[in-house]
Amino acid sequence: MFFLKMAIKNLSRHKRRTVITALIIAFAILIYILTEGLMIGMTEMSFDNIINLESGHLQVANQDYWDDRRELPLRDLIRPSAAVESELKQTEGFVDLTKRLNFSVNLNNGIDELPVTGVGIEPGQDSQVFELEQHLVEGRMPEADSSEIIMGAKLAELMDFSLGDFAIMLIRTEEKTFNTIDGEIVGLFNTPHPSLNESNIFSSLSTAQQRLNVEDKISHYVLRLEDQDQAVNAAASLTGRLEGELNAYSWRDAAESLVTMLEMQEIETQVILAIILTMAAVGIVNTVILSALERMEEIGMMKALGMHQREIVYTFMGEAAGIGIIGGVMGIIMGSLGLWIFNLNGIDMSALTGGGDINYGFPLSGTIYAGWEISSFIFVFVYGVFVSILASIFPALWAARKDPVKAIYHR
Amino acid sequence: MSLIKLRGLEKTYQQGKIAVPALRGIDLEIESGEFTTIFGPSGSGKTTLLNMIGCLDKSTAGEIIFDEHSINDLNNKELAEVRRYNLGFIFQSYNLIPVLTAFENVEFAIRLIEKHSKKERRDRVMSLLEEVGLGEMANRRPNELSGGQKQRVAIARALIKEPKLVLADEPTANLDSETSQEVLELMKEMNRESNTTFIFSTHDPQVMDYARRLIEIKDGKITNDQRRD
Repeated sequence: MFFLKMAIKNLSRHKRRTVITALIIAFAILIYILTEGLMIGMTEMSFDNIINLESGHLQVANQDYWDDRRELPLRDLIRPSAAVESELKQTEGFVDLTKRLNFSVNLNNGIDELPVTGVGIEPGQDSQVFELEQHLVEGRMPEADSSEIIMGAKLAELMDFSLGDFAIMLIRTEEKTFNTIDGEIVGLFNTPHPSLNESNIFSSLSTAQQRLNVEDKISHYVLRLEDQDQAVNAAASLTGRLEGELNAYSWRDAAESLVTMLEMQEIETQVILAIILTMAAVGIVNTVILSALERMEEIGMMKALGMHQREIVYTFMGEAAGIGIIGGVMGIIMGSLGLWIFNLNGIDMSALTGGGDINYGFPLSGTIYAGWEISSFIFVFVYGVFVSILASIFPALWAARKDPVKAIYHR
Repeated sequence: MSLIKLRGLEKTYQQGKIAVPALRGIDLEIESGEFTTIFGPSGSGKTTLLNMIGCLDKSTAGEIIFDEHSINDLNNKELAEVRRYNLGFIFQSYNLIPVLTAFENVEFAIRLIEKHSKKERRDRVMSLLEEVGLGEMANRRPNELSGGQKQRVAIARALIKEPKLVLADEPTANLDSETSQEVLELMKEMNRESNTTFIFSTHDPQVMDYARRLIEIKDGKITNDQRRD
């Protein structure tokens, strides 16, 4: 306690120097909190977009279909059955389910052709699982058994389509023969999921099944649960209960490339923190060396009184910890303030990307808001104090190892 | 009983490739309770001798016996232990910790011993500060004290742990003659009361007047050793 008290008093010797060194740590913590906050915000929004617009909480598909799903195959489809659906409804936290059929489309406007993804949906029921309908900017959802389609407003603009136009969708049936859906555009949507806006067309499931000649087969079931955190366990348990080749996949499985990317981003954030805190550590080293040089005679006196090297090192480490704590508190306050300002209006994603449609692979667009986690705050605070203490050890050892005679007479 | 025995003590400093002898074979015995002054011109080796006796520096040759134990083979940690429990130091420039009060500066030395309760510590520190005439100034920081008062705090700090030996390197060098006299009187009184051994290094005649034993050192050798009653 006495050494702690002395460390605190020593910090008051050069208040300006203490504050400046603490500010470097605070700055590092501020950058980390803002970067981490942005990452948390982007992650949460990305996952929400994937769940609400692309994958739902759970998908049930044939195992072989799932492996090749990005190629949009028409083999290994599922024939819906009441028994399977009954089993799906037994899933813990089950809210609702819908059926979907994904297929490959070449969208033609009479001049240009663009490869896109067609999705056959159950009008009415789809809205119980997905939020696509909420993002319609014009028109309405397609009706069952009709040739009506909806597409992203951006895609429509690119292909020069307007509401009420007919778009030719070139498709290949299961037998590889060509067919078309002459789809009437009854709705245009603009979701916060950019790739959905740019490359997905939604039609009635029954129409898609009929034109693709797949009878009543679907590519997968999609389930909505009460909570996204239930999905991983629910998928494992459901897979165990499902018969045949059917497997359940959580939204995390569906977004595996995004999860990997976010993990990489997390490492990147940690590296940024490590670099900035290393810079702060140089400040700490400098401060401890300056303090030691100024107090060489005191150090000599302490050694003459019989203080051990270890105790002298502890005194300097205590001071460095004090600087770390001051910097940590300042950093947390500055970071919290930064997040609050950040979230007042959010940040327009397009502003971050220079006004373009680049999204760096994140399934989000529009205004983003930062998130925060108490664990991140605790981590960065503890890490800042730890780095401060660590940085002080070598200069403190240097000071403590000084020959007492040389220290007393400052030779 | 001898508190300190020095046998053929030598100390040579290496300055680049040149060996500079500071002590050249010192033989000396100091009894418990002595009030001794080591004097001599600058560079004669008195501070080096004081540092050797104070376990702050190691000799090149010869033997140092402190309280019947040879300290020649002790490592730095063991030497620190000897200093912690047995020695008190008074420096020319006081070497007080500027951020601590007079009370805390004195308390600092006794805290290292860790054998007293908080109340015991407080009582001992206050009683000693009152003894050195600073009872009213216990809460002042060094920059609020005069040179003489600072040296009194340093004396209290040296004596608080009741050491066997107090070493004082030019303790009056920064004080005017009146204050020097007060400080010397104080140390002599402490010596009388507690039988603590005092060794001074000085070239101040006033200090020599107070000493009961005068040891003159020149070119690293004792040239005169005279006891006065």
